[in-house]
Amino acid sequence: MQQRRVLDQVETNRILLNGQLNTPKWWLPTVLGLGVVVLIGFVIIGFMVNRGLGVTGLSRPVYWGLFITTFVFWVGISHAGIMISAILRLTQAEWRRPVTRAAELLTVFSLLTALIFPLIHAGRPWRIAYWILPYDFARGIFPNIRSPLIMDPVAIGTYLTGSTLFLYVALLPDLGNLRDRTRGWQKTLYTVLALGWRGNPRQWKLQTVGGILLSALMLPIFVSVHSIVSWDFAITPAVEGWHSTIFAPYFVIGAVHSGVSAVVTMMALMRWLWKWDDFIRPEHFDALARLLIVVATAWLGFTFLELVFAIYSLDAPEIALRELQIFSWPWNLMFGVFLMTGYIIPVGMWLFKSVRNNIALMFWTSLFVNIGMWLERFMIIVPGLSRRTPFVYTWDSYRPSLVEWSILVWSVAWVTFLMLLFSRFFPLVPLFEQKESQIFVDKIKIGRVNVPAILREQE
Amino acid sequence: MATNSALAGQATAPESHAGHGSDAGHVVLRPADVKTTLIASTTAGARGFKRWSIVLGVLTIVGIAGIVLKAVQSLDDQTEWGYTAAIAAFLLTVGGGAPLVAVAPVLAKANWVRPLTRLSAAFSLMGVVTIAIMVPLVAVLPPLVTEGARRRSIWFESPDLTPHVMIFLAMGTLLLAGLGLFYTSAMPDFAAMRDHSTGWRRNVGKSLARGWVGSTVQWRTLRMRIGMFGTFYFLVLIYTHFVFTSDFAMGVVPGWRDAIFPMYHSMSSIQAGVAVTIIAAWAARRYLGLQDYLRLDQFWSLGRLLFATSLLWVYFFFSAFIVFWYGRSLADIAWVDMFIRGPMIWAFIPGMFMSFLLPWWWLIWNRVRTSVNGPTIGAVIVLFGLLLDRMRIYVSAWSVPPEQIHERYLHTIPDTVWPDTFDYMIIVGALSAAALVMLLIFRVIPIVSIWQTQEYQLLSKPVKYLRGHGVLVAKPD
Repeated sequence: MQQRRVLDQVETNRILLNGQLNTPKWWLPTVLGLGVVVLIGFVIIGFMVNRGLGVTGLSRPVYWGLFITTFVFWVGISHAGIMISAILRLTQAEWRRPVTRAAELLTVFSLLTALIFPLIHAGRPWRIAYWILPYDFARGIFPNIRSPLIMDPVAIGTYLTGSTLFLYVALLPDLGNLRDRTRGWQKTLYTVLALGWRGNPRQWKLQTVGGILLSALMLPIFVSVHSIVSWDFAITPAVEGWHSTIFAPYFVIGAVHSGVSAVVTMMALMRWLWKWDDFIRPEHFDALARLLIVVATAWLGFTFLELVFAIYSLDAPEIALRELQIFSWPWNLMFGVFLMTGYIIPVGMWLFKSVRNNIALMFWTSLFVNIGMWLERFMIIVPGLSRRTPFVYTWDSYRPSLVEWSILVWSVAWVTFLMLLFSRFFPLVPLFEQKESQIFVDKIKIGRVNVPAILREQE
Repeated sequence: MATNSALAGQATAPESHAGHGSDAGHVVLRPADVKTTLIASTTAGARGFKRWSIVLGVLTIVGIAGIVLKAVQSLDDQTEWGYTAAIAAFLLTVGGGAPLVAVAPVLAKANWVRPLTRLSAAFSLMGVVTIAIMVPLVAVLPPLVTEGARRRSIWFESPDLTPHVMIFLAMGTLLLAGLGLFYTSAMPDFAAMRDHSTGWRRNVGKSLARGWVGSTVQWRTLRMRIGMFGTFYFLVLIYTHFVFTSDFAMGVVPGWRDAIFPMYHSMSSIQAGVAVTIIAAWAARRYLGLQDYLRLDQFWSLGRLLFATSLLWVYFFFSAFIVFWYGRSLADIAWVDMFIRGPMIWAFIPGMFMSFLLPWWWLIWNRVRTSVNGPTIGAVIVLFGLLLDRMRIYVSAWSVPPEQIHERYLHTIPDTVWPDTFDYMIIVGALSAAALVMLLIFRVIPIVSIWQTQEYQLLSKPVKYLRGHGVLVAKPD
């Protein structure tokens, strides 16, 4: 940790609580602007529910389009939190500390957003209730409980509950801190939320053990969520390009690629907007970029395997689908953009340390990744459905309507709006993690050289 | 800001808070003692070494005889070679994966792995045995064009014998990359042997140290080379598994299209690599008296890795299984009938227990992981499980008659193939040959890297932390 500046606890509090105690000037207009976009989005959703799915571009045989693509995309983004927070916490990676809270938050809000898409895609969302209560097993007229379409909400619901708990447990010490620095209704709010946090040794021990246990518990959930989403597609032999055994890990690694990139985007924004230069430092971007090089390369390997084993079977429909995806207009353009933005441009740039330490370049390259990853999901879902297949009496090419594009834009505004709203009341960088890291960091003198060192407790 | 092992001599030993012989805590060792003890470990237990070398040597000859006799009997019958393919896959799985234990944590700057780097890198040299076993398998493997038609393969329109050539190319490159990793990281220790041992070991050290004097430039180059060989080794390993699984498993079963299978194979290779490293470290402690070098910290960390990789193993297995089981196309049903509930169910059920269920249940307990014997027992179970898993896959795959190779899916599930006498000879011989290779390597060079241990001593310092103990671990850039 070469770039660290030693800050005392008072200064740490002052800087990191500036979002809550001294709201920045840009905050209100930005939130209001996003609020308007969010409101318009809700009106459009209401319009679509009122008129039916005819206002979208969906028609036979392309019955899954932009909504399901965006659903998969947001589930993917949600993998950021657990990847950064749980895995790095368990492996005691010191550089995780300023990033964890924002990553966990992104998980919660993107999951909330993801859940909305299948609901609105159903056309008449209120009918979803009939799927759940009462669940009729006996006559078999209700959906198959073993179906991934049922397991999806179960997995995502579990992940959302777990992530929220994970976020809340890590927030407790900071809530205690805020309670002691506020007055009036805010003090009452923080007092209730802090659950009597006093920071005594027993509470710290429980909080630490709780964090580790939740980290370990969240990992299998994190993997299962996107695997189950992938099985929505993979267990369907009828659609070429979907029935592949690699889909589960392929989706998970893609989700990590996309989620961690989203964290990078968010970290750059946090550093610029709240001026947290002492906490979110180039070394954190450097570490994340190195992690992303590994993740992205693994993801590319999975992409390669998926493609090779699709044409390996030498089945004519499968080969025709790949020709459509790679060589036919406009899919070839999308394929090119997907490959360039998802891997070639960002990873090519991240190989250079000067890029990894440049916040602006990291911001743009991480945005590129998510453009590429959204396109990847689109390329998986739509071309397979849009091919002419036997026994389908009607087919049409799919072109997302303005309603669908507006709802996509709404989802981005909605997540950003929720994040900004959260930042008004709770710190985005965990205070206690920062203070703890100040204690754990030291140096060892070897010969004439001072080498940065980390303190590790022993059993 | 690179630290330098040449500084080892300047370090003054701070106080230890854990005595020698105790497994927990941090033990402080003097650089000179490290050198002496570890060089002496190459000569320890001479009688036992001789006895074991003879036994393993004889068993290796039995294995060679088994291969020759089997070749004479059935070189034209592919279905007879399933167990040989399984043992080749097992050796690739174990020997190929172990060096990653030396590579991955080092890239993540994990210091606990330092005493294990030599041990795990050496397993790559088991590739010599794997390549030797591949010779008859390649001779039996059908060409790309059989009975006038081209069979399914990852090589598509390539020349007929591409799979036959590519497997040797991949395995040869893997062996060379492993050798490069092993040799590069051993150069400072060869220099130590040159300067501090006697007899033929001194001569070996002198010729292999290649003028190593520990200059700053040499250290910098060494680190760079280790990083490069490590990365290259990882990439070649994945490629080798890709080629091996595609040509020697999927390619011989009609309708088996399984994109995750190469990754499943690679994943289990990492699991097996961790397992075999644990067992070898346990043996080194037990028989070479290296308790102060291979400590609880190493077993605890490896135990966690073994636990994690066992979970990943089942995840990769299930990812494939659910797609076949739920898909229910004719090819999917044939896969389930063939590889799960079919002729090798006797290997599938114990394999599943030993590769996942038992290690998971065993290693989940913190008390088991924080011991030396706990992870070792888990590792033995895992290795047996993986041997059974390889038999399940390769014996099934190779039992398919070549006449069916052009079918869209497997119409008839073959009967169970049981090992014959030659198969037993080949299995025992191959495992003995691999063990013999390892035994011989560690008569030449210490099983624990001298310079890595010395550097670890420099980079860590016991400190008081609140009312307990802590270690300050340096993380040089």
